[in-house]
Amino acid sequence: MALFMGAVIGVNAQSRSVSGTVLDARLGDPVPGATVLVKGTTRGTATDLDGKFTLPLQAGDQVLVVSFVGYLTQEVEIGSQSTLTISLQEDVTSLQEAVVIGYGSQDKKEITSAVVGVRPDNFNRGNVSNPAQLLQGKVAGLSITRPGGNPNNGFNIRLRGLSTFGANSAPLIVLDGVIGASLENVDPNDIQSIDVLKDGSAAAIYGARGSSGVILITTTKQGSKQGTTNVSINSFATVDKATNLIPVLSAEEFVARGGTNFGSNTDWRQELIDDGYSFTTNASVSGSFGNTNYLAAVNYRDNNGIVEGVGNERLNTRLNLSQGALNNRLRLNVNLSFSNVNSESINDAAFRYATIYNPTAPIFEDTPAANQRFGGYFQRDLFDFYNPVALARQQKFVGETKTALLSYRAEFDILPNLTLSAQYSQDRRNTLSGGFWSIQDYQVGFGSQGSAERNTFDRSQRILETTLRYETNLTDKLNMTLLGGAGVQYTTNQGFNARVRQYLFDLGWNNLGAGAIRLGNNTNVSSFANEDQLNSVFGRANFNYDNTFFFSVTTRAETYSGFGANNQTGIFPAVSLGADFTQLFDMGIFNQFKPRVSYGITGNLPPSATLALGVYGNGNRIDLDGDQLTQNDVFVGINQFSNPNKDLKWETKQEFNVGVDFGIWDGKVTGSIDYYTRNISDLLFNVPVATGAPNPFDPGRFNTASSTWVNLADLRAAGFEFAASVNQIGKGAFKWTPAFNFTIYDKTTIESLSAGELGFQELRFATPGAPGQNNNPIIYNRVGQTLGDFYGPRLTGLTERGEYILSTRDPNQFEKLGNGLPKGEFGFANTFMYGQWTLNMFLRGAWGHDLYNSYRGFYENGDTASNTWNSVITDKTPTSPLVTSTPTFNSSVIEDASFIRLDNMELGYNVKTNSQNFSSLRVYFAGQNLFTLTNYTGVDPEVRVNDSENGDSFTTSLSPGIERRNTYFQTRSFTLGVTVNFK
Amino acid sequence: MLPLVFAMGACQELEQDVLDGVTAEDIAKSTNPNLISVLKASAYARIVGSWGGHNSIWSIQEVSSDEMSIPQKGADWEDGGQWLRMHRHTWNPSEESFNNSWAYCYSAIGEINNLLVQYPNVPALNAELKVLRALVYLWLIDSFGNVPIIDENSTGSSPTNNTRAEVFAFIEKSIKDNVNALPKDGNKTTLNFYSAHAILAKLYLNAQVYTGTARWADAEAAADVIINSGKYSLSSNFFSNFSERNGGSTENILTLPYDENNAGGFNLPQMTLHYSSQATYNLQAQPWNGYASLEEFYNTFDNADARKKSFLVGPQFAADGTRLKDISAEAGDPDGQDLTFTPAINMLAPNAFRQAGVRVGKFEFASGAGPSLSNDYPLFRLGEIILTKAEAALRQGKTAAALAAANQIRTRAGMPAYTSLTLDELYNERGREMFAEASRRTDAIRFGKWGQPWWEKAASNATVRGIFPIPQNQLNANPKLKQNPGY
Repeated sequence: MALFMGAVIGVNAQSRSVSGTVLDARLGDPVPGATVLVKGTTRGTATDLDGKFTLPLQAGDQVLVVSFVGYLTQEVEIGSQSTLTISLQEDVTSLQEAVVIGYGSQDKKEITSAVVGVRPDNFNRGNVSNPAQLLQGKVAGLSITRPGGNPNNGFNIRLRGLSTFGANSAPLIVLDGVIGASLENVDPNDIQSIDVLKDGSAAAIYGARGSSGVILITTTKQGSKQGTTNVSINSFATVDKATNLIPVLSAEEFVARGGTNFGSNTDWRQELIDDGYSFTTNASVSGSFGNTNYLAAVNYRDNNGIVEGVGNERLNTRLNLSQGALNNRLRLNVNLSFSNVNSESINDAAFRYATIYNPTAPIFEDTPAANQRFGGYFQRDLFDFYNPVALARQQKFVGETKTALLSYRAEFDILPNLTLSAQYSQDRRNTLSGGFWSIQDYQVGFGSQGSAERNTFDRSQRILETTLRYETNLTDKLNMTLLGGAGVQYTTNQGFNARVRQYLFDLGWNNLGAGAIRLGNNTNVSSFANEDQLNSVFGRANFNYDNTFFFSVTTRAETYSGFGANNQTGIFPAVSLGADFTQLFDMGIFNQFKPRVSYGITGNLPPSATLALGVYGNGNRIDLDGDQLTQNDVFVGINQFSNPNKDLKWETKQEFNVGVDFGIWDGKVTGSIDYYTRNISDLLFNVPVATGAPNPFDPGRFNTASSTWVNLADLRAAGFEFAASVNQIGKGAFKWTPAFNFTIYDKTTIESLSAGELGFQELRFATPGAPGQNNNPIIYNRVGQTLGDFYGPRLTGLTERGEYILSTRDPNQFEKLGNGLPKGEFGFANTFMYGQWTLNMFLRGAWGHDLYNSYRGFYENGDTASNTWNSVITDKTPTSPLVTSTPTFNSSVIEDASFIRLDNMELGYNVKTNSQNFSSLRVYFAGQNLFTLTNYTGVDPEVRVNDSENGDSFTTSLSPGIERRNTYFQTRSFTLGVTVNFK
Repeated sequence: MLPLVFAMGACQELEQDVLDGVTAEDIAKSTNPNLISVLKASAYARIVGSWGGHNSIWSIQEVSSDEMSIPQKGADWEDGGQWLRMHRHTWNPSEESFNNSWAYCYSAIGEINNLLVQYPNVPALNAELKVLRALVYLWLIDSFGNVPIIDENSTGSSPTNNTRAEVFAFIEKSIKDNVNALPKDGNKTTLNFYSAHAILAKLYLNAQVYTGTARWADAEAAADVIINSGKYSLSSNFFSNFSERNGGSTENILTLPYDENNAGGFNLPQMTLHYSSQATYNLQAQPWNGYASLEEFYNTFDNADARKKSFLVGPQFAADGTRLKDISAEAGDPDGQDLTFTPAINMLAPNAFRQAGVRVGKFEFASGAGPSLSNDYPLFRLGEIILTKAEAALRQGKTAAALAAANQIRTRAGMPAYTSLTLDELYNERGREMFAEASRRTDAIRFGKWGQPWWEKAASNATVRGIFPIPQNQLNANPKLKQNPGY
């Protein structure tokens, strides 16, 4: 606007003029108010509401310069033309870009901590249902993974590696100012921007919830321009195909290896899988009129996996409305979103059995016994031997999740530079799930005579926060912004579970009353509820001296009911500063060179609010007189299954960050470089204590549990991050916009696992499992070593008869075999434009991480088990000789899983339109997971940040790098879609 | 200003409510008349817990002895070699089962001590809890030897080891001080006067092992208190003591009252039966094909011995009488695919035949049983007490009394009475009577057999290996704790 106001229109004698239309290149909409200047002069004009302009020319005028806020400035040769159509590209890396930083936004040039904004143009393409997937690979240091292709699985999100042992290892999500919102509340299509607060100083404004970083999501709240309504419909269809199936023996090869021959020939995976078809439609209406802005959106997604019975159907509805009053001094915002997700899934063990089930076995068997007992499916009473097709059909799991996020916000400008605001939000999530095991399901239902369960899980979070913001110029060069606030948050969780067994008919969870047995094995009646409260006070001061020196200081104090009585309030301060050297020196090609340094302390809450208390739980049912005929003396016993700790407090992370933001050639190239070190201390961990001994944290009482939740351990981690992008290089109609980022991790090192006398030198986790590998943990976390190291015997060779030659059998002599966390990750995005065509291509990858290939760990040897289970034959499987030993964990099944993946590619075409009815029409074709370069021979080389089969949800992070046999197969997807914007 | 108003309230102390459980404070305030009884029973529930499961104190007692093993069937049951090491006496302090056993004992002790602190003025409760604690210490002294004594007056969160002799004295005193406050009723699921004497009898019987000083006469006297009370009698049907409904056994003195629904944890069918045996008993879940007895031990039973039915041996059938098959039977298995439990096991590891080994059949597996049995597990029964009397008498040279006692057991088993008795023969007889009751290890140590070689176990150092190591996790958690000698 400033440019527009500053434009001077010359009035000279003229011989000719040029007229034209300025359009948004992406949407094809007119751009009103754009400045059109004759290059090298101050003569120019502004476009009207229809984006049109007419400019008188003088002799020698050759080039027009067209600019508008938010778009890249474009120069156009006039030549002999008298009418021009000029398409402006949105400037996604503009230095003027506002970055959301929590409780407000800041001009990107003033940012002094590690903050990265991602805009829709940079989002991942294809069938993306989960907002996390939009960012996968896009932000240096932000690791987003979903091994396998299960559409029901969420994404693991890690910022700068592991920041806690506990449950809150994923970054805090702040959705339109609502702290801790669930990603289910927002459909990817409604997102306007995502900003990632990476370092401790940026996250410190979120205090005890900020240690794992913060992701701020802002939804679209207005039309694309003032005074119009935009109706947009985006619809696409996707097909999912299974890919990268591990090679197994054919029926003939299996029999030749000594396999039991049932006389048939079945490709179990072909029988299990089928192409999955998914359909998505997003529709939205948005507009801006005067002081009213709104978005109404409906998103419907029907996603189906590669196995029948795996998929979900989501409906997400959103209304964002903001209204100004009192001459816009008072602003009211309402954001309402409702979503409904119905998911269905199978027992993932079907993927394992489909890979290794006997290939000579038929699917069905027409014998009276099989028909009567197993519904005609072939089953045999061997250990760990279940017909995968039967397993997938005769067990069923569903979930129905409803979320509602209601958020109300009022802002009032008491003075032009003093704003009071208050926001109340209520975030509810209700899940109803069901599980069903048919009477004829051999794995569970057969012995139980059918079983079914119904569970609810309801979560509600209410937050009220108020802030006061004051901005002033202390001198004519020194600007100061102050923010102060306070908040209170209540969280409630509750749930109900019921499971019964022994049915006459397969009525499942729809009639639990028809299950005769309601007590004992495979039954359950239980409920739970908990609540907690968190009070906060926070403040921030930002200083800007002459757009050259920037300084920020933040503090948040938090009082949490779940901390021990002796340690209820934590204080989390941060400070950061930066200076743009281009304002001080002539930096040549640099138009920005802003070194910055920051330090911040953040915290992490306990995974459960009652850990400090040592709550008594339910014990055995106790019949006081031992006489089963009298029932009025039966009670459920109470046992203290955890030891209280009145000192329990938050985890602390101290993070130091140095970085530089740079721009070269007038912002043609922009980027940032960061180096951080972080020390995490006082980790919350359930530490073995002297069982039975006096409890030091609760004087006068004794430990009844073998471990106590305490704050201990010190971790150290560091990393280097680089991100750069180039804005539109190319010639003529061809444009290329590359963006590249990478991270090099200095992997998390365990400096200590102790606090006072408590602690340990080593923590072992992750046993491969049955058959036969139940008591041998393969991951040792040792003090002084990196977190999550694989330990085991080294396979030094094979005897002539194919027996292992192992370095040792003694678990205490095992050596380090690898580590599941990556040394680095990268993302490489490319946008190519040619006329109306756009091609997006995104490569990403990780290197320096190992994976335990469990299929090889159990099923590649020619041992006695190969008569029961089929064997895998990967590129790494020794074949001459074949290994004849029984599978034992060893170095050969730890594989380097570095990979490069063409994650997604999209070819789009903007149809030129002069229609009265619609302003743009775009057709696109996208592919996801198109190819992967890797030497890993398992299912998916994707980084595993935690172990899905670690039963203790508080230690899953301590066993990275394990690919379990039940991993859903990798999928490749193709999407065809169309986006229409109506006038 | 609104934020400032908030700020003033924001940092006040917050009370954490517990909505679905109770805290020690809630318990202290409760006036429910049943509370103390339930709390006491809850302390007992700690010792019911994992006794009868895999990876438990029962497992380490059994698999380390010559009456049980867990053969490795190819991939199955390798499990990091823990159970091979357990059988071969090459275990190390990091074995998970050691830590489980230790935690099992000491969590009960913690619970008991908390109750003693909470209810110092309920004499009967105090007496019973102290004897219960002594019972737990009996397992600890037997398994781990030099363990810390922690009572309700202990302070200091990192207790140090006590010597085995000190632990012995503590158990003895705990019982002597409290035994007369215990009821002389016939309750088998809580301690009474007689079960307290059973603890004493077992303690004295092993006194030479535990302290270096034999106490045979005291062992005999304690056994006599029970035998002469007339409260207990040998069941004519030996197996009625181990049946699903063994609550009415006249022989059992103290049992762990397992119940499929109310008190789980006795998982024997899963642990010992073959996968296919699910069809024999219509079990709710497929068994794991693990624990099997040794051929030599099996052969110490005469065919006429009624107790030989403690083993499942020979051809196996489904409940409907059809022959069970193991279609994946190893090519070299002489029994082929027809499921047959054979006494001979071709090897302990790595490729024991899946069908090899006789299985534990002493406890009834009721048709339709779940993974947890409802059979009560006898910790003490008259049969054992009579053998204790026989042994104590024999060791004191009272041959006639020893013979009289031992022959009660012989006769009940349908075997001809002894006319003479050696310690070795008594050892064997005790083995036959007490199979699968977690007694064999203790007996082998007491009879000097522990260091001898047996199937798949070389000669070992009975002094070192006669005490299990203090679990590594416990040493880590408590820096003042010292490892047992030799580890």
